[in-house]
Amino acid sequence: MNIVLRELKAHMKSLIAWSVGMFFLVLLGMVKYSGFAASGQSANDLFKGLPTLAALFGVQSVDLTTAIGFYSVLFLYILVMTSIHASLLGAEIISKEEQDKTAEFLFAKPVTRKHVVTSKLLASFINILILNLATLVSSVTVVAAYNKGESATSTILLLMVGMFFVQLIFLSIGMAAAAISKKPKLAAPAATSLLLATFFLSLWLDITSKLPDLKYLTPFKYFEAKTIINNATLNPLYIIISLGIIAVMLIAAYFRYSSRDLSI
Amino acid sequence: MNMLMHELRQNQKTTIIWTLSLVAGAALYLSLFPAFANETAALRKILEGYPPDFRKALGITIDSFASISGFYSFIIAFIMLAGSIQAMILGTSIVSKEERGKTAEFLLTKPVHRSQILTAKLVAALILILITNVVYMISVPLLLNAIAGATIALKTFLLLSLTLFFVQLFFLGLGFLISVSAPKIRSVLAVSLTTVFGFYTAGILDSIIGNTAIRYLTPFKYFDFSYIVKNGSYEIRFMVIEVVILILAITTSYYIYMKRDIRST
Repeated sequence: MNIVLRELKAHMKSLIAWSVGMFFLVLLGMVKYSGFAASGQSANDLFKGLPTLAALFGVQSVDLTTAIGFYSVLFLYILVMTSIHASLLGAEIISKEEQDKTAEFLFAKPVTRKHVVTSKLLASFINILILNLATLVSSVTVVAAYNKGESATSTILLLMVGMFFVQLIFLSIGMAAAAISKKPKLAAPAATSLLLATFFLSLWLDITSKLPDLKYLTPFKYFEAKTIINNATLNPLYIIISLGIIAVMLIAAYFRYSSRDLSI
Repeated sequence: MNMLMHELRQNQKTTIIWTLSLVAGAALYLSLFPAFANETAALRKILEGYPPDFRKALGITIDSFASISGFYSFIIAFIMLAGSIQAMILGTSIVSKEERGKTAEFLLTKPVHRSQILTAKLVAALILILITNVVYMISVPLLLNAIAGATIALKTFLLLSLTLFFVQLFFLGLGFLISVSAPKIRSVLAVSLTTVFGFYTAGILDSIIGNTAIRYLTPFKYFDFSYIVKNGSYEIRFMVIEVVILILAITTSYYIYMKRDIRST
């Protein structure tokens, strides 16, 4: 419990900064919408006729003139930001003990490696949950302020549940990278390169209909705003895949971290 | 010279990986061109039905849209995003890593002036970015031929591809400034990724709604690709802004670094 509290305190400032940042991202995004809504229907029609072009702007099969439609474009970037947060958090929370040379101090205490990983996992979990809730509250209030049609709250709630799975995936990838890597410095770059690679893959998949099966490889495709808005539900298949990835990553993290030499 | 060589060696591996990734990314997107070219014939018709003002707001001109230069304009936007991350990480880490790695004391007790240190680091970063761009500009035309089966006018290609270099310079300068002015950067990646994606998101949202004022704020919009394809030149206004911002960022960096406290523990 001490370790959990210690980690929560250590990450409090950065969590507050991230939460405020997410609020402003949503706010600024939706302020732009208010100007856009006035310009009327034409943009919508144009994008409908041009699937490739629409893909390049990240707007497919959603009604851009509604608040939630515009929000769905923004959602991809919200997702990227929170994923960056999760993967950096996961990588850093494990690797910092080695990097800052506090590992010796920590493991001289009567705690097992597993216990340390569990505490850090719990602390990270609370962190990403709070960021998710902060984004949820920001999104619901800001979108409601600009929304003229029916309430979008339930859709946003669903989007945030999807986002939470993606956050968990990147958190577990970050933790696994830090637990496995013998060089603590490499953990965060490794986790974020994977994040960027999957992000660019999802952009690529938006433009092309070639190799659609690659979508299973990128978490950014698991809970896409356009499908969630149109179907009003999360695809259970992707929930299972997400849970599978998370489980594999965490098991790898526990096993490897419990048995490897720490670099000191 | 020693410092310069040291930085180049230290960043050698990362730069090679980044360069290869950028070229591979370009190849991946270029492989979509044949399918895209088929689709464009139909798209042209639809586009013609829209008022010119509207098309302009979206940055689409009919001619550029259907051609390889139009397609490449879209690709370069993604490459630019990735390249900016590279440049920002490089700029943010190159000075701040001395403090984080507790080597600042060692470095600063050498008989070199602080400005020499900063210059060596700046030149090293510039060389690395330059290498990335040179490799990119040599390999991508070949890929264009091999994968997309199309040739692009050399001047258009160079003008479009050089925007990568200029946007990278912007983020290098910005990263450099943050690197010397922030008291301690705990995570270079967090600073770099959020800054670059922040600018990128602002640019994307505004091109959707056709707002032009944002163009002054985000470097991703300094270069209007359809303008470049059409006129074969950059918009002077934005080049001036870029140069001014760069000069400001670099001179401020020197000014701050000359006087700042360096943490030694």
